[in-house]
Amino acid sequence: MLKRLLTPLYIALSLLCALSLNAQAKQVATDYQFPLTNAFEASIAGTPSALRPILPDDADIRQRDYSLRLRPEREFTLPSNFWPVKTFHYRLAKQSGPAPLIFIIAGTGAHYSSNTTEYLKKLFYGAGFHVAQISSPTAYDFMVGASRYATPGYSPQDARDLYTVMQAIKKQQRTLQVTDWHLTGYSLGGLQAAFVSHLDEQEQSFNFKRVLLLNPPVNLYTSVNNLSRLVHTHVVGTSETRTFYQLMLDKLTRYFNSKGRFDFSEAMLFDLQNSSQKLNQNELAMLIGSAFRFFSADINFTSDLINRRGIITPPQQKINDGTNLTPFFKRALLCDFECYLQEQLLPFWHSHFNNQQATQVAVDKADLEQLIQASSLYALTDYLSSSKKIGVMHNADDIILGQGDLGFLKQHFAERLTLYPYGGHLGNLDYLDNAADILEFFHE
Amino acid sequence: MSKPPLLRRYWAASALLLALSQQSWAQTIDADGFKNPLQQLEFNSAQTQHEFERATLEALNISDPLEQWNRRVYHFNYRFDQWVFLPIVKGYTKVTPHFLRTGVSSFFSHLGEIPTLANSVLQLKGHRAMETTARILFNTIFGIGGIWDPASKMGLAKNNEDFGQTLGYYGVPSGPYLMLPLLGPSNVRDTSGIVADYTLDFTVNWLNVAKESERHPEIFVLKIVDQRYITKLRYGEMNSPFEYEKIRYAYTKSRELKIAE
Repeated sequence: MLKRLLTPLYIALSLLCALSLNAQAKQVATDYQFPLTNAFEASIAGTPSALRPILPDDADIRQRDYSLRLRPEREFTLPSNFWPVKTFHYRLAKQSGPAPLIFIIAGTGAHYSSNTTEYLKKLFYGAGFHVAQISSPTAYDFMVGASRYATPGYSPQDARDLYTVMQAIKKQQRTLQVTDWHLTGYSLGGLQAAFVSHLDEQEQSFNFKRVLLLNPPVNLYTSVNNLSRLVHTHVVGTSETRTFYQLMLDKLTRYFNSKGRFDFSEAMLFDLQNSSQKLNQNELAMLIGSAFRFFSADINFTSDLINRRGIITPPQQKINDGTNLTPFFKRALLCDFECYLQEQLLPFWHSHFNNQQATQVAVDKADLEQLIQASSLYALTDYLSSSKKIGVMHNADDIILGQGDLGFLKQHFAERLTLYPYGGHLGNLDYLDNAADILEFFHE
Repeated sequence: MSKPPLLRRYWAASALLLALSQQSWAQTIDADGFKNPLQQLEFNSAQTQHEFERATLEALNISDPLEQWNRRVYHFNYRFDQWVFLPIVKGYTKVTPHFLRTGVSSFFSHLGEIPTLANSVLQLKGHRAMETTARILFNTIFGIGGIWDPASKMGLAKNNEDFGQTLGYYGVPSGPYLMLPLLGPSNVRDTSGIVADYTLDFTVNWLNVAKESERHPEIFVLKIVDQRYITKLRYGEMNSPFEYEKIRYAYTKSRELKIAE
C-alpha cells in the first residue's frame, strides 16, 4: 500500500526536479557529492585532497619549458627590468609516441605554471595526451612576450594572439607526432578557447577535434563587474582601525597560536575553515576580489607602459633594474578593471577596430555596448549552437556568472552543457567526478 | 478508469508541497538554475567602498631605504637562479635517486634542529624545546644520524625557530628590509639572526659536520644545493611586474606570524 502511494510521488518529484533544474542540459548524477556548498569557500579552497583523482607525478612527466621570440622589437624598446618576460615561454609535456595534443589556456592573469593549469596538464597527460600550457593573454608574460597590442580584453584580438602562439608552437615542435588537436581553457581562458576555435574554422591550422570550455564567462562585462564588486563587501566596521589585511593576519595569528605551530598549506586552509577563526562569506569574497584587483593592476601598468600611454607611468620615465616601481604600483592599484576599460581598452579598441565617426559621448556608450557584445560568448551564438565539437562545463553557483547566463548556455549548448550544482568558480575542477567528465568529453 | 480518492488527495498534497518548496527556492534560484551567490553578500554603501585601497596602500608601507640596491640584488638573484642554481638542482635531481635526496634533506634538516632547540630555550618555549630534544634523540639514534626522520612518523612534528625570531620575540624591531645576495629576502634583524645561528652551528659542531665542512667544502655545497632543492619558491612565479613588492610584503608578514606564534 505504502509503496503504491509513494511511487507516483516519487515520479512526480523527480520529474519536477528534472524540469526545474534543466530542460536540456546533460544530467549530472543526482548523487553529486562535492562537499563545499559555499561558492566562495569552494572557489578559494578547491577540492579536499582525498576527493581528487590520482595523477601522474611530476617526475614521471617528460616536460620542459620552451621559449619563442615573438616580439623581438620589445627587447630594445622595453626597460631592462622586463628581461625575464621579453621572450615568450610555454610548457610542453610530451608522450613517448604519437598522441593527441591538447592546448590549455590559463585563466585571468594566470601563468602557464599556475596550479589549475598544472592540474589539467597532469590529468590529460595521465590520459595519454601531449599537453601544451599557455599563459593567459591577460597575464604579464603573455602581454609582454606575445601580445601584438598588449591591451587585452577584446576577445577576437586575444584569440588572434593565442592563435599566433599556437601556430608558433606547432612549428617549433614539428617533429612531435600529433594525431589530433584539442583545445581547452578555464575561466577567461574558456571564453578565449571558443574564439580560438572559431578562428580556426577559417584558418584551418589545427582543425580542433574537441574543444572544452571550463567555467567561462558568458558576458565578459558581467564577470569583471562581479569580481570588481567583491572588494566592496562589508568586512571591517566603521570604527575599526585595522585594515582588512591586518584583520586576516590577526585571525591567522590566533589560529596558529591555538595550533601551536606555523604551517601554511592547503590542508591548513580547510582546517582554518573548521576552526573558530573561520573566515566569513564577506571576507572570502573580499579575498577573491583583492586578487582580481591585483591582476587588474598588473594589466593596467603593463599595457600602459608597453604602449607608452602615460596614464600610469610618465612617458619620459627612465626605468632600470633598480627603479622603485611602488608609486606606479599604487597608481595602477587605484584603477580597477572598469577604469582600465574606460581609460585604455575602449579608446584603443575604438581607434583600432571601430572606425565609425560619431560624436564623442554617443561613441563611448555605443562603443562599450559593441565591445561587450563582440568580446562575449554572444558574438559566437550561431557557431556555438551548431558546432558539435564544443562543450562547456559550469556550476550553478559560479560567482562570475550573472542572471540569464545559464539560460544562454542551456539554449545554445543544450546537451553539450554539463551543469554542476556546486563548486563556485573552478572549485570542483579537480573533484573526482569532474575529472572523469572532462576526460570522457575528449574520449567520446 | 478513475484514480482512487486517496491517491488523488495525495497528488493534491504533493503538488501543494512542491509549489511551496518552489516558492521558497524562487528567492535564491533563478528559473535556469542559477544560484547567484553574490546575493548572499553584504556590500558597503557607495560612500564607504574604499577598504581595498585603504588596506593595500597601507600594506605597501614597508621600511625599505635600500630599495635601489635591494631591487638590483633581486634581479641578480633571479638571473643567478635561472642560469646557475636551477640547472644545478635539475642535474642533482637527475643523477640522484629520490630516496637519496630525501636522506640528504632530512640529514641537513636534522642539523637545523640545534638552532631550533637553542632558540626555543631562549624564548622560554619549554614544550617546543622538549619536542625538539626528543626529535634530535630519536632521529640521531633510530634515524641513523638524521638521514631518516622517524620522529615525524611518531607524531613529533618539526618546529622551526631561529635567532631572528628570538630577537623578534623580545621586541627587537625588524629594521629595514634587505634582499641578500643568493639567500633572498630578509631584514637587518633576521640577517644578524642568520649570523648568530651560523656561529652557533659552528660552536656546537653537532655530528662534527660543521668542522668537517671546513676540510670538505663539498658538504657545504651539498647543503646549499639541498637548500635550493627543498625551497619551492621560483622567481617569476607570481608573474607580476610588481613581484618585488609582493615578496617584500609576504616575507615581512610571514616573519611577523612566525614570531607571534
